[in-house]
Amino acid sequence: MQPKARPIQRFAQSVSKCTADAAVYGKCIVADYNSVHKDKCAKEFMKLKNCYLAAAKGGR
Amino acid sequence: MRLNLPRACRPPNLRSLAASPCARRTYAFQAPGGAVFKVFNSRTKWLQKERAAADPELSRQADYLKDEVAMRVCERLVDVKRHFPRVLDLGANSCNIARALTRENPDPDPSTPVSPPLASKITSLVAAESSASLLYRDADLPFNNAELNLTRQVLTDDETLPFEPASFDMVLSSLSLHWINDLPGVLAQINSVLKPDSPFIGAMLGGDTLFELRTSLQLAEQERRGGISPHVSPLADVRDVGGLLGRAGFQMLTVDVEDIVVDYPDTFALMRDLQAMGEGNAVLGREMGALGRDVLLANEAIYRELHGNEDGSLPATFRIIHMIGWKEGANQPKPLKRGSGQVNLKDILEQK
Repeated sequence: MQPKARPIQRFAQSVSKCTADAAVYGKCIVADYNSVHKDKCAKEFMKLKNCYLAAAKGGR
Repeated sequence: MRLNLPRACRPPNLRSLAASPCARRTYAFQAPGGAVFKVFNSRTKWLQKERAAADPELSRQADYLKDEVAMRVCERLVDVKRHFPRVLDLGANSCNIARALTRENPDPDPSTPVSPPLASKITSLVAAESSASLLYRDADLPFNNAELNLTRQVLTDDETLPFEPASFDMVLSSLSLHWINDLPGVLAQINSVLKPDSPFIGAMLGGDTLFELRTSLQLAEQERRGGISPHVSPLADVRDVGGLLGRAGFQMLTVDVEDIVVDYPDTFALMRDLQAMGEGNAVLGREMGALGRDVLLANEAIYRELHGNEDGSLPATFRIIHMIGWKEGANQPKPLKRGSGQVNLKDILEQK
């Protein structure tokens, strides 16, 4: 029997399905990484998180 | 200790204690040695190593870095034409140095004949480590039966060496000194357990190790949570190590740096391997508990954008500081006196 996957592995798998949104979020941060403050890229992050949540739901 | 006050100053009775000026004498005393600045939680470190060793398969898979560095440390022995009767491996992890020593043909150069394993230079090796499970993890593998006489010793404390002074002909240490709180103290102890004119050869993580993870986690936490907490240890710099060795009394120092860059598919693989190495975060004052999912998600995106390779893999830098120091001995070569040079270096360089 296959050993049960650790939650972090399932997490990693779902995250790997959202490379496009991750790149958008990453670019938003890296564009000006000397002045990062809380919720600087909140909009981009919520898009990325929505994508991850959808991927996590689909994977189950 | 009894405090002998002069008779005249002794208050006649207790009630006049506050009134008499003589009775207000106080004295201060200082604990020996300076205060040790604590950075790491050694119990957490011990727990992490025990946990890592509890899964031998995963832990062996993640040994690539320690095996590689142990090999490079042992390679430095090729140049020392000497036999070492008794050698200490301090912070042995899973005896990676013993494994590297027993490797066949350690100097793979087609122009030279096949050389015997480096273990032939050593009669007995003492592997000292605080985590018993990690130390005995590979106790039944074939390298234990090689001609190397290997003894394992579990240390109760990483920072106190329970050995007689001047009892070892060499001390080796690979990838464990970076978890020591009192590095000057431990180096001084290493110097004291060495016999005169014996070498200490060590390697530790330092400087910009894991700077990619450090920066991207900082950015992710800053943006998601509005503040940062330490996730990657503060590490000694190359410049510090020379001074530390000199302060501990070592002579003829050699310090050099080597970067090993490992590529990972994603940040989760990197963090899982670090955990399996027993190299998790053990900084005092870190935030307890696991990283939140939001931060992990943001970290993955930022790491990839900021440091990622073109082929989609993520590089992680391990900066290894190699150090060699010799304990002072009678017939040891010493640097000549300042100003005693006879040849001008400028002439030689210009002739070229």
